[in-house]
Formats: sequence, C-alpha cells, structure tokens
Amino acid sequence: MSSISSLDRQIQQLKDCQPISEQQVKELCLKAREILVEEANVQWIDSPVTICGDIHGQFWDLLELFKVGGMCPDTNYLFLGDYVDRGFYSVETFLLLLALKVRYPDRITLIRGNHESRQITQVYGFYDECLRKFGSASVWRYCCEVFDYLSLGAVVDGKVFCVHGGLSPNVTSLDQIRLIDRKQEVPHDGAMCDLLWSDPDDIEGWGLSPRGAGYLFGADIVKTFAHANNLDLIARAHQLVMEGHKLMFDDLIVTVWSAPNYCYRCGNVASILELDENLNPTYRSFDAATQDTRGIPAKSTALQYFL
Amino acid sequence: MADYSQDPLHPIAILVDELRSEDVTLRLNAVHRISTISLALGTERTRTELIPFLLESLDDDDEILLALAEELGQGFVDYVGGPEYGHLLLPVLEVLAAVEETLVRDKAAESITKVCTSLNQAQIEEHYLPLLKRLTTGEWFTSRTSATALFAAAYPKAAQPTQEEMRKMFTTLCTDDTPMVRRAAAKELGAFSKTLDHDTLLADLLPAFRKLSQDDQDSVRLLTVESLISIAEALSNDECKTHLGSTMKNMVSDKSWRVRYMVADHFVKLATAAGEDIVREELVVAFVALLKDNEAEVRTAAAGQIPGFAQLVDREVILARLMPCIRDLSTDQSQHVRAALGTQISGLAPLLGKDATIEHLLPLFLQLLKDEFPDVRLNIISKLEMVNAVIGIELLSKALLPAIVQLAEDKQWRVRQAIIEYIPLLAKQLGVQFFDDQLANLCMAWLGDPVFSIREAATVNLRKLTEVFGVDWAKSAIIPKVLAMGNNVNYLFRMTTVFAITTMAPALDTDVIRTSVLPTITDLVSDRIPNIRFNVAKALEVLATSLSSQAGGNELVTEGILPNLEKLRNDSDADVRFFAEKGLATAQAVASGEAPEVTMSDA
Repeated sequence: MSSISSLDRQIQQLKDCQPISEQQVKELCLKAREILVEEANVQWIDSPVTICGDIHGQFWDLLELFKVGGMCPDTNYLFLGDYVDRGFYSVETFLLLLALKVRYPDRITLIRGNHESRQITQVYGFYDECLRKFGSASVWRYCCEVFDYLSLGAVVDGKVFCVHGGLSPNVTSLDQIRLIDRKQEVPHDGAMCDLLWSDPDDIEGWGLSPRGAGYLFGADIVKTFAHANNLDLIARAHQLVMEGHKLMFDDLIVTVWSAPNYCYRCGNVASILELDENLNPTYRSFDAATQDTRGIPAKSTALQYFL
Repeated sequence: MADYSQDPLHPIAILVDELRSEDVTLRLNAVHRISTISLALGTERTRTELIPFLLESLDDDDEILLALAEELGQGFVDYVGGPEYGHLLLPVLEVLAAVEETLVRDKAAESITKVCTSLNQAQIEEHYLPLLKRLTTGEWFTSRTSATALFAAAYPKAAQPTQEEMRKMFTTLCTDDTPMVRRAAAKELGAFSKTLDHDTLLADLLPAFRKLSQDDQDSVRLLTVESLISIAEALSNDECKTHLGSTMKNMVSDKSWRVRYMVADHFVKLATAAGEDIVREELVVAFVALLKDNEAEVRTAAAGQIPGFAQLVDREVILARLMPCIRDLSTDQSQHVRAALGTQISGLAPLLGKDATIEHLLPLFLQLLKDEFPDVRLNIISKLEMVNAVIGIELLSKALLPAIVQLAEDKQWRVRQAIIEYIPLLAKQLGVQFFDDQLANLCMAWLGDPVFSIREAATVNLRKLTEVFGVDWAKSAIIPKVLAMGNNVNYLFRMTTVFAITTMAPALDTDVIRTSVLPTITDLVSDRIPNIRFNVAKALEVLATSLSSQAGGNELVTEGILPNLEKLRNDSDADVRFFAEKGLATAQAVASGEAPEVTMSDA
C-alpha cells in the first residue's frame, strides 16, 4: 500500500514535469522490468483501448493527449513506441509512462519503437538529456535496460495487430514473432529489427527501405498477412502524418502519429485511435499544447528578441 | 566527523586538497562549503590564509568562479570578522568582475554591491573607490561593463568630492567606445539616478542619459526606456516636460521597432512617471501613434497597455482618440494584436460606464467573439466578468448569447471548455426558466463530447448547476438524462454517467441517491468493462462520504453501498479490487457511524 501511494506521488510529480530522483528511477525501472518480463512478444490486450503513436519527448503534448483521450487508468492506452528523443522532455515523458505502467499494468501497454535503443538514443537526444538532467548516464542506462524488455507488438481482441514500424519478410504469422528472443538491443537486421523499422508503401511485394533498416512493403503483403492471421486492421506509427493519421490499402493498415507540431516546427496535427468495446475505430485529432499550459509566461517570447 | 580543535590544519588542508582536485564536482563542492570552512578556521585565519589562497586560485572553470562569486556575497563579511574587514573580500570579487563569462561577472558585481552595504565611508574611500577606478578604466570591456553596476550602492556612502568623481566616472562609461559598456551603462543609469540628488541629476546625469538615448546602436537606445522612467519619477511635471519631452517624442518615432516596442511595453509606467500635463499634451498623440505602428509587435505591446493608459486620461479622450484606434485594432491583420486586444478591451468597460460600453464596446466584443483565431475568442470570454459588472447580465446575454452558443459548438475544444466554465455564472444570473429554455440542451450535449476534458468539465458544470438551482431541479432536469446514458451501448457514455454521479454526489441528498442513483450504479457494478467497474467503486466511495453527513445516510450505506463494494472486491481485475478495497474502508467507517477522513477525490 505504501509503495502504491509513493508511486502515486511520483506520478503526480512527473505530471508536473518534475523528474524524480535517480534512486527512484532505479527502483521504478526494476519494478517495470519485473512486469514487462511477464508480457509476451505480442501482448494480448482487450478492448476498449486507445492507441497512440510516436511521442518523442513532447511532454506537454502528451499531457494534451491525456486531456483529449482521458487519463490513465480511466482510459486504457496502448503506446506504439518512440517515447524518447528529439523533444525536450524525453526523461519526463518516458518515466511518466513507465510509472503509469507500474502502477496500472493492466491499463497501459508500452511496446518498443526503433528509438528505444542504446544506439539511437545516443544520437538523437535522450542520452544527452539524461546526462544534463541527472549529471550522469545511469538513468539512461536504467531506461535502456527497460527498453530491452518492452514487447514488440500487441494484438487487440485478436483482431487488431499493433506494431511500431511494420511487417517483416521473415514473419508470416504472429506466432513467429512469439519465437523471437526480444531481450536485447535492437539488431541491425532480422525480424525484430523489421517490426520496428519497416514502412508501408505503394509498391508490390517488398522493397528496400531508404532508412537503411527494415523494408518497404506493399498492399499485397498487408492483405496476405491480415488474412493469414485473421486480422481486421494493422495499426502502426513510425512515420509523420500531417493529418495525424493515414489509412492505406483499403483501410487495412493505419499510421497513427501522436506528436503534434513534431519537433516543435512541423505544423502537423496529432491523433489517437480510440477502439471501443466493439473495436469500432474513432480517430481523435489534437493540436500542440498552448504556451500557457506549459507554465511559460507568454511574455518571454517577446523578450527573446533582446537576449 | 573530524575534530577541528585538535588538528587546526585539518579543514583548510581538506579544502586546499579539494580545491586542487582534478574533479570539477569536488572543487565545486568545496567552494559551496567555503563558509563552513571559514567558520572552522575562525575570522583571523580566514583573513590571513583563506582569502590569499582564494586570490591565487582564481584561474578555474567558470562554474567554480560563479559559485565563488555567489558564496562571497552571502553574508561572508561576517566570516572575515564583520564590517570593519569587509573590504578584504573586494580583491577576489574584483578579479571575478573582470572575467570573460557574463554570468560570473554579473554575480560578482551583485556580491560587491552586497559587500558594499556593510562598508563605512573610510573603507569606501580607501578601498572601494580605487577598485571602481581600476574597473572603470580597465583595458578590456568586461571590467568596464561590470563597473557600471557598482555605482548605485556606494554613491550615498561616499564623501562629496568622491561623489563628484564617481559621477564623472559614470558619465565616461556612458560614452564608452564599446556598445557593450554603453548598454550596461544605459541599463544601470536608472538605479544610479535614484541615488543622486535633484540638482546633480539634472546637471550631470541627464546629459549622459540624452547621449545614450541618441546612441547610434538601437540595442543601447532601447535600454534607456527604463532609465527614462526612473529619471522622470525624480523630476517634477514641469521639468519632465522641458528636459524629457523631446526624448520621449524621439523614442516613440524611433526608426528601430525594438525601441518603439520597449516604449510601447512600458507606456503606462512612463505616462504615470511623466505626469498629467505631458500625458495630455504629448503622450496621447504618442500612444495613438504606437497603436497605429507599422510593426505588429509594437501594436501588440501597445494594445496591452490600453486600459492602464486609459485610466490616466479623460473619458472624452478615450472615446475621441483611443476608440477609433481600438476599432482598427479589432480588425488588425495580426492575430497576436487582436489576441492582446481581446485580453485588455474589457478593462475599458468600467472606465466608459454602461451606456458607452453598450454603444462602443459591445460591437467589438461581438466581432472579436467571431474571430477566426481561437485565442482571440478565448481572451474575450475569459474577461467577460468585467463587462458583466458594468452592463449587467441581461444585456450581456441578449447581445452575446447567440455568439456564445456558436462557440459552445466550436471545433477547438479549449474554446468549448472556456464557455462551459462560464455557464454556472450565466445560469445564476439568468434564472432557471431562461436556462432551461436556452442552455440546458447544450449542457447535456457536452456530456457526449468527443474530448475527455470537455466531458469532465461538463460533469463539474452539472454539479455547479445543481448547487445553483437546487436538488429538486436536478432531480427532474438532469439526473434522469444522466442516468439514461448509463444504458448506452458505448462504454464512454456509461463512463460519463459514473463520472457525473461521482462529481455531483456532494450536491445530492439521500432521497435522490436511494431512488435514482443507486439502482443505476448497481447495474453498472457488473458492467463488462473493468474501467467502468473501478470507477463505480470510486463513485460508491464518494457517495458514502457524502451520505455520512445526512440523515438516514448510514443505513443507506449499509443497504445499498456496502454490498456492491463487497461484490467488486472479488472482481477478476486488480484495479477494480484495489479501488473497491479503498472504497470499502471508507464505506464501512460511514456505516459504523464514524466520519470518514477521506474527502472528495480530486477528479
């Protein structure tokens, strides 16, 4: 009971965008690993659930997402990865989601994105942010250990397959994903890499990905995979969509993007996908958090001219 | 814990070790502990050993120097033996005030100023003035920049001949070759001017100020705006007119928009300091010019000053001179200007009075309420209270209701939220009849809003309405509709029913809870969605709490609430069990007649 109330306090603190102490991060990550190790590579979840795409450290926009979609635990969430890097608050963003996961394991599911990796986070900001905010890389290391335990995908009511990137030529059925030993750094190739890196494209069959990892895959691949696995929909993230979400291939696959005004300058809207108890999809779009909700006085923008 | 009395060398030895450590964090810690160390050393050894040591170790990282500059300003005078030895800190701080890093220099100047407050006249003459001279004539601009900040604190303590010298030194800095120094001088001039007496201010500082205000760098000129205000505060209205009038005029028409922005942003302060005459003769024209400025940033800043400035002028002037500009601003092409106007314009209502508000402001409100930019609309709505106080709710609602209803369906959810927060206030003053006719449907529609925050605000709104119109009204007007949603096939609607009950519980009585609320809640105990079930548990806890203070409450808790919670505590879902246990503890306390400590959850 006392650990729950201290967890509740940490969640409250993180919601105010205050990082918790290094010791608390360590304990949180340990508990998170205990929970995540029990989860399957493709985690089974029940509807209703709200599916969210990339967040990328845009903490205030994540709070905006919760304002639109409802707070956890009242609303069930599935996040498709890419919690960190690029935005200014990767630490607070990931730790808040992780704290919610530990507090309400059945209400929120976190799967792995291609940015949940040691190599990528050292280049795109999460590592530097940890160093800046905690003075050492330990927090980054704790978080990376958690990354290795995140599931690779999820399936809602057996009908909606959710993954960060897309499909892999090495995977024709969900059961093949279940055979992967996922507890490792994201490899440079192979099924685990493809699930986190691939993109759908208007081609036939498989194509080379310009990203240098994963593949491009066409409508035929998606249709075959959906049919073979008895799926209604594949939900993925990984690519910026200006309108927040984009359906492709006769509405068989959807890209959901949840970082509004990506990198604070792309001007896109974000969206989340609400699946109700009968798997009826509703897309809710939302804009970036306004200045005043971030607790920054509006005046500072004017003063910046003179600094 | 080391015993300092036995080994007098120990603390300084550790400090020296740590200050020489390779590790920056160790050195930093040592610097932050420097007051502890000097306390252990005693005042004499601090003077004879520590200070000389510090003087020798000033070739370090900026982070360390910054910490040192800060520590020495925090009551360190006491550690060297009190005010009579205070000047001993100056040499170290002098070096810090001349380094390259601005943060260190600023902190050092701040600490020198703090030390200065404890020095007497002799110390000022003997130690402070030479320091000031050295910094003022320093070869590198950094020391001269720091020097500008050191005049104000020492001037009142200095003897007359020294004061004269200090004024000369300061005016020299005002005409320094490097713009960085002139900028610093322009910034500090205001504070320094406060310490001068009236005549010397006019004779010595005013010419220096004039020169700065005509500097060819706009970054210097814009900093003189605040100095202008300080000087104007020290002068009489007539003197302001003769000495500062032309400078003000020049600033308003400065060719750099940044200077005009500064003036616009400080306009009320400036006008207050300048006095009535100038306001009437010069500043109204100036303000109108700023409101019509070519740059949107300047117009935005000026718009922010409208009510403040309007307070300084007559009502006729507002109507004749300012209103036309305000009308133009309400259709300004920049959304930021319109947003700034939206926040400020309501402030004019009390100044104009009822009739003029209706005639001049209401049309502008209506127009801004239809603005395509949501911030503009929001700003107007959030300040309606002032207008309400002036023209009364009836007129306000008649004129604005159509616009409000339109906003209630706006596609931006924050606009809808702002309107909802206004509903209880409108309801209170419009009365039940009007509310039921015009607004009731709107309030129910919000319960099914796609955005969670709106649904949440809608339930809070219902509680506030129940508080306004009473439980009987709620029983017939709201509760049936809310409970009907509990049968909706979509779980989000059922969830809203539970939320609404939880939120409204404190405003409901035993009878309503028994006859209407509990039957629905009991059905939802076996809902197939766990999220509904644990929110039912939370709702039951809140209901139990609010029943505890009512007649017959205990029995109802025992009959109607405890059995449901007992069922939920054996649920298959962990979260449902958790909240059921929590609710059970509260409800059992109520049933046994204790007042529960648990209050409203912060839903």
